[in-house]
Amino acid sequence: MSVTRAEIQRIAALAELHVDDATAARLEAELSRILDYVAQLQELPDGGDGDGDPRAGRLRRDEVAPDRLEAPPTDFAPALKQGLFLVPRLGELDRGEDESP
Amino acid sequence: MTDFRAAASAAAERIAACEAKGTHAFLAWSGEAMLEQARGLEAARADGPLAGAVVAVKDVIADRWFPTTCGSRILEGYRSPFEASAVRRLREAGALVAGKTNCDEFAMGSSTEYSAYGPTLNPVDPARVPGGSSGGSAAAVASGAVDMALGTETGGSVRQPAAFCGIVGIKPTYGRVSRYGLVAFGSSLDQIGSFGKDVASAARLLAAISGRDDRDSTTLDRVPLSEPGPAPTSLAGTVIGVPREYLPEGLHPGVRAACDRALKKLKELGAEIRDVSLPHTKYAIPTYYIVAPAEASSNLARYDGVRYGLREDGGLADVRAMYRKTRGAGFGTEVRRRIILGTYVLSAGYYEAYYGRAQRARERIRSDYAKVFAGGVHALFTPTAPTPAFRLGENLADPLQMYLSDIFVCTANLAGVPSLSLPIARDQGLPLGGQLIGAMEGESTIIRIAQALEAALEPTAEVR
Repeated sequence: MSVTRAEIQRIAALAELHVDDATAARLEAELSRILDYVAQLQELPDGGDGDGDPRAGRLRRDEVAPDRLEAPPTDFAPALKQGLFLVPRLGELDRGEDESP
Repeated sequence: MTDFRAAASAAAERIAACEAKGTHAFLAWSGEAMLEQARGLEAARADGPLAGAVVAVKDVIADRWFPTTCGSRILEGYRSPFEASAVRRLREAGALVAGKTNCDEFAMGSSTEYSAYGPTLNPVDPARVPGGSSGGSAAAVASGAVDMALGTETGGSVRQPAAFCGIVGIKPTYGRVSRYGLVAFGSSLDQIGSFGKDVASAARLLAAISGRDDRDSTTLDRVPLSEPGPAPTSLAGTVIGVPREYLPEGLHPGVRAACDRALKKLKELGAEIRDVSLPHTKYAIPTYYIVAPAEASSNLARYDGVRYGLREDGGLADVRAMYRKTRGAGFGTEVRRRIILGTYVLSAGYYEAYYGRAQRARERIRSDYAKVFAGGVHALFTPTAPTPAFRLGENLADPLQMYLSDIFVCTANLAGVPSLSLPIARDQGLPLGGQLIGAMEGESTIIRIAQALEAALEPTAEVR
């Protein structure tokens, strides 16, 4: 099983990992060799112990997305404007500190 | 009453001597910290089972006294805000923690050459590796710098370095020791294990850290393991299986001779030696090198330059560019290789062909063990590693060859069963390890057999 340079870069992007061209070239050769070796798992006969194992799990798409929140921001933000959190102006905080004894 | 301060001072001298030879077993250690711990233990009149024992801790286990770097640049100087449950239990048992030991980056490797802070040398032969990934812990014990050490296993990382350095290493049943505070690599495989110069000391250390922990829901709901008893003088009534897949044609002649000698001793002790088969053994390395990198690629996603350690922003406006730059610069060669491999085998289109199949193969490997033990076998005996310690740099250019050095050890991690390595002979001066594998929760059985074998063998005798 050979892996292409483009696949290495696609996988690196999914893993949020910068891989330069020299490293990608090396990984292309190394991964191809490792995948050739692990391909012997394809010989594993079907119908043995562990088939239909619920731990195999369900699949989701390979998408990078923000973590889903338990509750929408409107439930916990003191104030929102156009979907953004309203926070005190930094200048006001600085002034407050100046006034403290 | 234990003289804790004397123990701390003597250990500091031994560690300094070990490191002066260039062994590089430690990433951080402190005589002053040991003295401070000693004063605390004295004030508390500590008299636990490890009172005064000096213990080193692999640097993937969190401790507040020393940084926790995992042998990686991405965590350089990182200090954990809490300590691992295993370390807390060590201190409660009266041990002095000497410092943190070198390891392959994030415990990924079999030689300790993948540490970002340079390799550890084997105290028996400094031209050779101490094994890995817990090579620093093994070297610290083998050199006599400390009494015992904690290591970790995902695929043999305690037993293989124990074999290479001529000491004892125990990997307990999955769930026997809390993983709270152990930096995650492959969560379904990871376990903290123990090193000692002999079976009893490694077993005492394991007993002290074992047991249920409310902070790790995967710990077994069992009382802690008992302290080891005296070595039995007879193994009559004990059945020891020898899986034929572990003694293949072409096995290193020294390793074969050492195993033959150890099996002869076991028989002389009264054990019944039985030929058995673990037919799915050939799938172990392919399975391990899919499951472990897959879990690692997920576990290591947290190192993004925001929450921990290194950040390479260099004026980058885009946060994702910062993630990529940080991770690309902070992770070393082997970690990057495994993240890419793990992400690949989990990605759409390849998941079933690789990860799904590996999960099924893992279940069959586990089932092989269960059937053998259900058939009346009390423990299995095999070589720990296919060769003695290899030379520094020998396997660095060929990652697959490096992976194959774990061929006899990684099945126990995949199945979750306990296993230990003890020195059984030397070949041209290099230590060779014999492995005992037990049924789930069968630590006491393999420890008892190992004690009997240890007492009957001359473990430094040349085998040929």
